[in-house]
Amino acid sequence: MTMRASVRDAMLAAVPSLRAFAISLCGNVDRADDLVQETLLRAMANIDSFQPGTNMSAWLFTILRNLFRSEYRKRRREVEDTDGGYADTLKSHPEQQSRVEFEEFRVALSKLPADQREALILVGASGFSYEEAAAICDCAVGTIKSRVNRARTRLSELLSIDGADDFGPDHATRAILSAGGRG
Amino acid sequence: MHTEAPERKTGRLTRDDQRKLGDILKRVYDDVVRQGVPDRFRTLLDEIEGAHGRQQTGSGTPPELGREAAAAPSRMQTEHGGPKDQFNKGSH
Repeated sequence: MTMRASVRDAMLAAVPSLRAFAISLCGNVDRADDLVQETLLRAMANIDSFQPGTNMSAWLFTILRNLFRSEYRKRRREVEDTDGGYADTLKSHPEQQSRVEFEEFRVALSKLPADQREALILVGASGFSYEEAAAICDCAVGTIKSRVNRARTRLSELLSIDGADDFGPDHATRAILSAGGRG
Repeated sequence: MHTEAPERKTGRLTRDDQRKLGDILKRVYDDVVRQGVPDRFRTLLDEIEGAHGRQQTGSGTPPELGREAAAAPSRMQTEHGGPKDQFNKGSH
């Protein structure tokens, strides 16, 4: 009983991060929450295959990622659902500073190939090590590293972060300068 | 005149650019994380717990489990929807 209670608590503790991962994978809050729900159901049904003492969060991420992958294969035609997405999560968060920046970033993120996107999120946002991310994605550590690098490079291109000091006016100035239109 | 996109220096992100990217990524991600655990997931896990408990009660050896169940009245009450009934009454 206590064992099950601690499993339950560990699962709940992982939910916020699972949701963030799911939203960045499928770009839609409702689908993401369904994905998280399915993940929890799957996890509870297979709780015996979880080894106590190992990383519960990584285990749940693995399940979620696999579920997403199989769903993704099924619905390949409607892959990137850009409606809803982060925009929905932002509505419930009026305090967030730059909606434009978020929106821009979300769009850029959705343009990345799925394998690069998940690698970048796992390592860059969820806080997993390269080794953990490799285990979650069932690939070699070197593969994760190169996916993360490619994702960063591509994102920086999409967001025009390539040596500029910042987004903002400097960015515009630099664009003018690089176009040769001095003064 | 030359409409070609300027050559991108792929794979040549500076540490500073990486940090900038990482910061935005974290902000976007943490914005969701800060929303915490929506009720539906708490409810879901509670329901699974409840179903699991009932299953055990149903398939186990009746006398001992009956005593065990009696020792955990709050749990049984939850499983039989006690609080929910109260809630429904209250809302009418």
